[in-house]
Amino acid sequence: MKKYTHILYTLAVCGSIVACKPTVEEPAVNKGSLDVSTYVAVGNSITSGYADNALYYDGQQVSYAKLISEQFARIGAGEFKQPLVDPTSVGIGASGGAKLILAPHADCLGNTSLAPVPAATSGDLSIFASNIYASSGPFNNMGVPGAKSITTIYPGYGNPANGFGNFNPFFTRMASNPASASMLSDAMLQSPTFFTLFIGSNDVLLYALAGGASDAITPTAGAAGTGFDASMDAIVATLTSGGAKGAIANVPDITSVPYFTTVPYNGLVLTSQLQVDGLNAAYAPLGITFHLGQNPFIIADAAAPGGKRQITSSEFVLLSVPQDSLKCKQWGSVKAIPNAYVLTASEISNIQTAVSNYNTKIKNLAATYGLAFVDVNKFLTQVETGVVYNGVTLSTTFVSGGAFSLDGVHLTPIGNAMLANEFLKAINATYGSTLPLVDATKYSGVKFP
Amino acid sequence: MKKLLIGICMLSPVWLFAQGFQVNLQGQKQQAMGAAGVATNLDAASVFYNPGSVSHLEGNSVSAGVSLTSGSTAFRDGNSQQQYHTISPISTPFTGYGVWGPKDSKFKFGMGIYTPFGSTITYPNGWSGRYTITELKLLSVFFQPTVSYKINDKLGIGAGFVYGYGHIELSRDLPIANSNGQTSTANLTGTAGGMGYNLGVYYKPSDKLSFGISYRSEVKMKLNNGTATFNVPPSLATSFPSGGFSASIPLPQVLTVGVGVKPTEKLLLTFDANFIGWSSYKSLAFDYDQNTSSLKDTESPRNYKNTYALRLGGQYTLSDKFQVRAGINFEKTPIKDGYVTPEVPDADRLNYTAGIGYKPIDKLSIDASFSYINFMKRTDTNIETNMSGTYKTRILVPGLSLTYNF
Repeated sequence: MKKYTHILYTLAVCGSIVACKPTVEEPAVNKGSLDVSTYVAVGNSITSGYADNALYYDGQQVSYAKLISEQFARIGAGEFKQPLVDPTSVGIGASGGAKLILAPHADCLGNTSLAPVPAATSGDLSIFASNIYASSGPFNNMGVPGAKSITTIYPGYGNPANGFGNFNPFFTRMASNPASASMLSDAMLQSPTFFTLFIGSNDVLLYALAGGASDAITPTAGAAGTGFDASMDAIVATLTSGGAKGAIANVPDITSVPYFTTVPYNGLVLTSQLQVDGLNAAYAPLGITFHLGQNPFIIADAAAPGGKRQITSSEFVLLSVPQDSLKCKQWGSVKAIPNAYVLTASEISNIQTAVSNYNTKIKNLAATYGLAFVDVNKFLTQVETGVVYNGVTLSTTFVSGGAFSLDGVHLTPIGNAMLANEFLKAINATYGSTLPLVDATKYSGVKFP
Repeated sequence: MKKLLIGICMLSPVWLFAQGFQVNLQGQKQQAMGAAGVATNLDAASVFYNPGSVSHLEGNSVSAGVSLTSGSTAFRDGNSQQQYHTISPISTPFTGYGVWGPKDSKFKFGMGIYTPFGSTITYPNGWSGRYTITELKLLSVFFQPTVSYKINDKLGIGAGFVYGYGHIELSRDLPIANSNGQTSTANLTGTAGGMGYNLGVYYKPSDKLSFGISYRSEVKMKLNNGTATFNVPPSLATSFPSGGFSASIPLPQVLTVGVGVKPTEKLLLTFDANFIGWSSYKSLAFDYDQNTSSLKDTESPRNYKNTYALRLGGQYTLSDKFQVRAGINFEKTPIKDGYVTPEVPDADRLNYTAGIGYKPIDKLSIDASFSYINFMKRTDTNIETNMSGTYKTRILVPGLSLTYNF
């Protein structure tokens, strides 16, 4: 009996080690017509890995460009260098702040809830203190926070001599020569064999982020450096001049990101008849009435009678609106929400028209130059309704949706992974390659304390 | 005794087996013959295979058997093309049978304890499907008191009452990162019970020919006192309250018809066809006692379809002491395209079996079997989770039983 048991166990153990371990063969990884020995990514903050309102190390490590380069390693890519900041740094944002983290936050009413708060009182200014090109460049990741199509070709885009506000410190720290280099010229210094180009969002976004109160939408017409079309022509002609192949992404409808869609238009909740009566009396001359429950916020609008009106359901109150002012300082009711925190219907229309025009141009460029076309605009509309990846549902819902970081504009790590996959799918389809996609489940969404 | 047996089972969960999570390891002789056995009365395992043939067994007997299953599933993720292997401890589904009847009585009484459904599947840490499943342990033990009546030398009928006991444990990761970027986890565990019956008719018109038909009813395993445990970041603890949940899983009805033929005195051939009513498994639903905006009840579509299995086996008697057996069966998966999940990575499968029987003394028989189960490679994209990839599973099952006749 013992002997039999012994034999059976031996069979079982051998079986599990040898015969029983099945294998599913890996499909061959073909490069198709790709040469990715020198991959350069040209773009803006999304390309740089900027997230949570700052450029910081962990975000850079999961930039979609970096993730693409890791898949390119399967077909002979060289090193992919990024202008990394210190791993322990709180990073720095376009307006000088530190990265945002989720933390308990007490509002003006004394209620504590989780909210995005800066990880430090100020951003890490040391990031802008020195140029790191000599020590760690040239940089394959030419994603520069704040860059537009028109600024991509500006010589001296990182030149401090231009004066505050007229140069981009994110480029200053990584440029080969801040006084004379453009993003495009530094990209070309590396003689790329493959490029990705994802630029144009800021040509409308900076206007949108400011509620249309500052910055301007880049016009389609105009010379290179002024107009979108000519600038894009110049960028693509230059990037392909050495025979490089590439992928070009279009511009998403930025008004569907959480920065614009999170604060409800009818967030003015009235709970007492006293409040209703008071507001009705105050706004009687403007013909605006209020009722118990949810009411549209009152916004500033110079064109409206009295300079105030109710916001409509198709307009946006921006995520940047000070919540305490809404809750405790009568913003949106007695006081109108200032224009800088509101996108009106006409501003939204301006943005969407521009995006549509940009995307027509980008699609034409992709066709003309035979580039892989990445339809980021379409992808974002899919995320709006929710996409599912290996059991993970991602949406554009702020924080819980998982795709967008705490600034409501830039992506989480898993959002970046999903974007990288859109690039990879387009590249495979265009160049006959069979690159595996990024395993997006390895990357997280928003982090909770 | 019951408690002890349950205890043993809990320690030795059953590897995912046969169509869906049906396990076909209920008797070493039958296992060796392609798991065909409705039209034969080889031993006390007929309590499971056909209660009608129990009345035609000679004498009384008790038997105990165990199968050492070891298997592995390979999954290659369709997006990343990374391959993962399940971690598969050897598990030991077991059987225990007893058959007794007063001498010269037309009645025989039987008791069967067996594991008709079960699955243990564990995926490696950090695998690409961890938000759908990291581990599933599903175990059922059926207790079947049985009575069988010999109408005459050619015809027997039998019926058994089935009480099913089940244990389920399901773990998965939740895509919620803490401040260190680590994911959260959910663990659902509980015990379930259900009842059913097992009916059989055995007809043996001659020494060379026998027929059998059996019907095992559906057993709806209801789990009402489950425990859901969530390991989430502290700030979300109130959104994911650990607590009770309920669920139910139908273990399907099975109709089996078969024939046994003895071309010569020494050779026995058997053929069984199973018709399995898996279409009752529509969805896997978890109803949490306490819902929050983050923790909602879930209902995942399964939509299994009715399916079948064909089993062919043979036994050759070498001498008074030795018998050899072999068989083959084909089991058609109940899982439609679009519904394959890593928790039950099922596919059509071919099962090759062999075995020996040895009688050292007249009252004792030792039976051993060996099964090699080869799943067809299956590529699928799940409609609920978008899990996409290719599965390939193989299982080896050596087994042994002892039967004492008196």
